Amino acid sequence: MDWILFLELAANGAVTGLLYAMVAISIVLIFKSSAVPNLAQGALVMVGAYAVLAFSDWLGLPMWLAIPAAMVFMFGLGIGIERHALRRLAGQPIIMILMMTLGLDIFLRGITLAAFGGSARRMDLGISDDPLFVGQILMSRVHLTGAAVALMVFAALVLFFRTRRGIRLRAISNDYVASWSVGIGVEQGVALSWALAAVISTIAGVFWGAVQGVDQSLSLLLLKSLTVAVLGGLDSLPGAIVAGILLGVLESVVSGYLDPLVGGGSRELVVAVTLILTVLIRPHGLFGDRSVERI
Amino acid sequence: MKIKLLSLCAVAACSLGTIAQSQETVKFGLCYDLSRSYSFATPSFVQAAEDLATLVNDKGGIEGHKVEFLVQDTANEPQRGIECYESYKREGVLIFDTMSTPVSQAVLPRAMRDGNVMMQPLVGRGDAIVGDVFDWIFPVGPTYWGQAANAMDYIKQQSGGSLEDTKVAFVFMDHPFGYEPQPVLEEITKRENADIRFFPFPLPGVDQSSVWSQVRRYGPDWVLFWGISNMHVVAAREMRRNGIPMEKYIGVNWVSKTDIENMGGLGKGLKRSSVVDSDLENPLRQEIVDKVYGAGKGAGDVAGTENSYYMVGLALYSIAFEAIRIAAEQTDGPLTAEAIKAGYESIRDFDNAGLTAAVTVTPEDHGGGGKTRIESWDGETWVQETDWFSAYDDIVWSIARDAASKYED
Repeated sequence: MDWILFLELAANGAVTGLLYAMVAISIVLIFKSSAVPNLAQGALVMVGAYAVLAFSDWLGLPMWLAIPAAMVFMFGLGIGIERHALRRLAGQPIIMILMMTLGLDIFLRGITLAAFGGSARRMDLGISDDPLFVGQILMSRVHLTGAAVALMVFAALVLFFRTRRGIRLRAISNDYVASWSVGIGVEQGVALSWALAAVISTIAGVFWGAVQGVDQSLSLLLLKSLTVAVLGGLDSLPGAIVAGILLGVLESVVSGYLDPLVGGGSRELVVAVTLILTVLIRPHGLFGDRSVERI
Repeated sequence: MKIKLLSLCAVAACSLGTIAQSQETVKFGLCYDLSRSYSFATPSFVQAAEDLATLVNDKGGIEGHKVEFLVQDTANEPQRGIECYESYKREGVLIFDTMSTPVSQAVLPRAMRDGNVMMQPLVGRGDAIVGDVFDWIFPVGPTYWGQAANAMDYIKQQSGGSLEDTKVAFVFMDHPFGYEPQPVLEEITKRENADIRFFPFPLPGVDQSSVWSQVRRYGPDWVLFWGISNMHVVAAREMRRNGIPMEKYIGVNWVSKTDIENMGGLGKGLKRSSVVDSDLENPLRQEIVDKVYGAGKGAGDVAGTENSYYMVGLALYSIAFEAIRIAAEQTDGPLTAEAIKAGYESIRDFDNAGLTAAVTVTPEDHGGGGKTRIESWDGETWVQETDWFSAYDDIVWSIARDAASKYED
């Protein structure tokens, strides 16, 4: 067995998985506050990346300024979506809310296609593409940077949930009726979680855009991120990180060895099998709360 | 031959006068995927189609026949493609194109049954070049089999006339498009004693990292890359990360200037299989810029005319226009699909004013010869590495005939 190849596949899978985790964290944030599995999360990543390019290419801002500007825009967009699309559906069956997020996904993809066209665009973060060998293992600089940022986002969220506002969000997550009864603004809390999710999506969009270019295919990140969120537990932030690494390593190593034997296709199979087995065997995921209440 | 298309336009302009008004309009039905998988290229094709139609119509049309392009988005969905085909059929469309493999495969049996001309260049069934089986389908231009064969021949020439012990990595998207050239590559490998290895990467083609780790370990002399659009950009980055020189890379024809720009300087040395002349000084393109865009009648931004896919579109439709011109010459009455089919099958050594290799279409060969050339990106522009050529025609036709015979069954 070529251990160097194994380690290289595993290491690169882990950092890729942390990039999935960044999107999964956004899914978890919204699910924790409102029990909505947001099917538009991939589209929000895509819109976040396009927003950065809009500030950079159209308004001529340097990238270091375009990214925070896009984050501010996405913060507003997240609040807007919750306020005008989701809040109206309070009390409706969950399937209606799911359909709304699906509709948002289609809407956002359509509107970006009309505004930016179908060709991919370049997201230049100034990170070199030159080979980077850690020992004998080749690593990708942009993935490594993205993985480090994903961990920083996670750490920032951990700290945030210890602040007064964060504690309110945790309270809403635990029991929104009780939170309401003690005067916590549940609507504002849910809106904040959408806003934070949109901001984190922008960061994810920046790195995924740097990896693969910015086009509508960024919205396809939903599938893997949702798998990560389900595997980690839909209400668990640490679960998203662990599951991201796990799925990234699994798909990279398994496809790395299987694809040459079966002629391709095993990467998607790993994701599908992971999702199916998780739902069948451990529906609350690795770290999720078994007694999550669906609102 | 280079002046043939220009003379086509000139003849159309000079000879018609009042007759032009009396001839019926020839309608093209473009059932295109404008919003999904092929949206990286189809807007350029449509722009080229409409610009060419404007140019020719302003000169009186083709032998007096005005040209009209009807365009509908299928979103790459076969069912929508069928609906589009049926609705355009009712509107009297004589020539159809889908520019999508799944849509083409859904529409093709209907076009065959109805006796309507279907263009199907570059996508869809490669075996449709076998004209005596697919008598209504005209995939004029190289098939993916032909492109792969030609690329292997180029590698052979670069390797001193022999492929013996030459290592070729075939890196491809995990999709029927990526698998299509493999039988040809395997046959050539057997014949030439080459060493070829296949490396699939998953759709949507944006995560290729584990594949390139393995390609690096294989240590190829050449990399043949079968992907579209942005996948080339991802591949270029992965090659750089893995220390594989870009000069070893030969891409299928779907690499555009936009992709090169998105590579951010990594594309220098990249080679591609080209089906069309990318020279912006091409006389047909120049005429469109001067007369159509100069008069403010362009179908899009003039910068769009610099796109490789725009040039491909120009080439494809001007071949169809040539077929209509011949059909009009050969027909006394109104133009029919039958007449246009005969027009297609009478095209001889037509090179689109230097836009493509000289194309000859016969009732047996609807592919027109399958010639390509290899171009490389020198950092600023595409440089011709070869003249137009085709290679391993016996292998390509053997596979095409075999596949076509299964369709007949």
